[in-house]
Amino acid sequence: MRMRLQRDIDGLTSGIISLGALVEERLRMAVKAIECRDMGLADQVIEGDIEIDRQEVDIEEEGLKILALHQPVADQLRYIIAIVKMNNDLERIGDLAVNVAERAKLLGEASAVQMPFDFFTMCEKVQEMLQKSLDSLVNMNADLAYDICAEDDDVDMMKSMMQEQFLDKARRDPENLEPLVHLLIVSRHLERIADHATNIAEDVIYMVTGRIHRHKGARP
Amino acid sequence: MRRRRRLLWQLYPSYLLIITLSLGAIGWYAADAARQMTLDNSARALQAEAVLFRLLIADKLTSQAFQEIDTLCKQIGASISTRVTVALANGRVVGDSDFDPTRLETFALRPEIKEALHARVGIVRRHSFTMNSDLLFVAVPVEQSGAVTAAVRMGKRVEEVMERSGSVAFAMGLGAVVIVILGAGFGFYVARLVNKPLLELKTGAEKYARGDLKYRLRTDASEEIDGLAEAMNIMAAQLDERVQTIANQRNELEAVLSDMVEAVLALDNEARIIRINRAAEELFGIKGELARGRPVGEAIRTTELKRFVNKALAAAEQVEAEIVVLGAPDRHLQAHGTPLNDSGGDRIGVLVVLNDITRMKNLEKMRRDFVANVSHELRTPITSIQGFLETLKEGAIHDPENAERFLDIMIKHTNRLSMIIEDLLSLSRIEQEREKGGIALKEASVKDALIAAIKTCGGKASEKEITLSLACPEHLKATINSTLLEQAAANLVDNAIKFSDPGETVILEAELIGGDVLIRVIDHGCGIAREHLDRIFERFYRVDKSRSSKEGGAGLGLAIVKHIANAHGGRVSVQSSHGEGSAFIIHLPA
Repeated sequence: MRMRLQRDIDGLTSGIISLGALVEERLRMAVKAIECRDMGLADQVIEGDIEIDRQEVDIEEEGLKILALHQPVADQLRYIIAIVKMNNDLERIGDLAVNVAERAKLLGEASAVQMPFDFFTMCEKVQEMLQKSLDSLVNMNADLAYDICAEDDDVDMMKSMMQEQFLDKARRDPENLEPLVHLLIVSRHLERIADHATNIAEDVIYMVTGRIHRHKGARP
Repeated sequence: MRRRRRLLWQLYPSYLLIITLSLGAIGWYAADAARQMTLDNSARALQAEAVLFRLLIADKLTSQAFQEIDTLCKQIGASISTRVTVALANGRVVGDSDFDPTRLETFALRPEIKEALHARVGIVRRHSFTMNSDLLFVAVPVEQSGAVTAAVRMGKRVEEVMERSGSVAFAMGLGAVVIVILGAGFGFYVARLVNKPLLELKTGAEKYARGDLKYRLRTDASEEIDGLAEAMNIMAAQLDERVQTIANQRNELEAVLSDMVEAVLALDNEARIIRINRAAEELFGIKGELARGRPVGEAIRTTELKRFVNKALAAAEQVEAEIVVLGAPDRHLQAHGTPLNDSGGDRIGVLVVLNDITRMKNLEKMRRDFVANVSHELRTPITSIQGFLETLKEGAIHDPENAERFLDIMIKHTNRLSMIIEDLLSLSRIEQEREKGGIALKEASVKDALIAAIKTCGGKASEKEITLSLACPEHLKATINSTLLEQAAANLVDNAIKFSDPGETVILEAELIGGDVLIRVIDHGCGIAREHLDRIFERFYRVDKSRSSKEGGAGLGLAIVKHIANAHGGRVSVQSSHGEGSAFIIHLPA
């Protein structure tokens, strides 16, 4: 019975990592769609969301099944709860990637606008955070997860800096308001994605140490 | 588990037991025989005494001198400490050494007397109630003219007889104890002797088990043990050789695998990584030792690779696919999945070989774009020339004012066509000459070439009111082809003018850094977006599809610059940020 439980948990892990990989790729594609004004790529992201949703439902059902069937305790219970929570975050990131892709399409239709300097830095930073949070999950590395929590502040700062830049640009160049608004919204989505990546990192900390890291400052 | 006893403690007690048992058995038998012999000897001695005594009393019996017989009995009995009795044929005792014969009852029923009265020698060992102890009696008949008239009986206490045999038994017992002690010592020695080579063999076998196959056993014991040691030595030598062979083969394979350009992943049936080579580690940015034993989906988070692996694991045949790994930059991989079978033919996993075809893909795309672009660039002017020609033919030729205008437009397009073809030709000329090694490079002043370039572009610059500034050390020399370098610099400056707004400055500068000559063209125009930077040196590549035809370029200028830089063994690079201008740099190596 114990073996069965471990096997089911391994299946759950492999499912969440596969979902993570998928979401990571979707985000990358969505950002690339903005960068290269590639409508086809954006469409792929939008259409592929069904797959993410399907996987999310599968993982959730699997997690609930394990809880009901085996009634695990201690660290295994903690592990499953954390995975179910992460599952939710990943699905949200997938949705946000779709939103970014939709904006990419609108941007592609609008006139070309000069990208603010920090925009792609922010894109990279957010992608890196998501990647690191998945790495910390794969390796059960709490140290890496703590780093991600610290990095979230950088992204928040980037976003507010970019908002100022947008305002400034919009005042100077009101004709190009439309693409600027799209970019502003994308930066908001990215900031939300960073928040979800942070949630995942916090769940990893919870998995490994059993400590709830949310709403806290530095690591203990 | 039962605690195992040492061989020594299994052998040794059995030795002791054997020694003690055999000595005991022999001792018991010997003691018994000695006692029997003593009894026999005593009986014989008593018989002899009885016979002698019979002679002494023979005539006295005849004369019925019973009193004398009794006295004689008492004398002799006391002197040889033996009970001497004489009984008549009717059982009446007439002489006894220890008792008064008259007070003794008839002896006819005593077994030994009975025997003697039947003219036989009676030897009996029994309890005597008159003496109240165990006695050995020997009785002999006294015969007179063929008839038994009396019996002479000699009796001796068994205790007395046995006294001597007891001392013999004690001596024997002492001897036995000495032998047992000696035997125990010797047994221990022998057991040790058997045990020692076995211990040596055990040590050797343990060393082999730990992998120390160079160790050799040296025993000097029995033939069997020596043979066993020899066989073990041979076995170790062969094992050593095989292990060496396997290690060598493994190292060779390892070397082949790690030096392969293709990324190789060996996966088991659960898609866990068994082996991964260096190319694969680099391709996916992972560490082999960390990845080993992990599911491929965990170690390398690439959905397409995982899908491919699942497909390859499910398929019985080799599978092939092209997969894209998203990242910065994206990589296109040609993947082959081959089933892995063990020696028994059972499926143990899949071998995935990944070939990086990103470069090929890019070249392919470049070629496709080139063909599309070149057709487009050539067709546009031809279409309008065609259109104007047809209009002229349909009557516009008789309208001098319009005909003039049409002809001007046609000349403009023809010039453009000729310019494009000129550029293409000069590109292919540079390429061809470079292939043949025919581009003449010689030491020349860089400044002269740059001045010539500025002169070429001077007209356009002044049209757009753009200032050209030149900064170049007076005596800067490099191995160059002046004409080509002039063309490259002119192309870059021409571009810079095109993308600058009126009134701005274009800077052309050259300097010597670490032996390399760097020629920079800097403008403060609109700059180039990041996504185009990699591709602007491709032929006909357009940053802005709608803009360039207005500006009159065909998209070949930068391609020519790149080829010229390459022809000099150098390269060209660009730094730009959108909205802030660009800097093109030609690096010429020393």
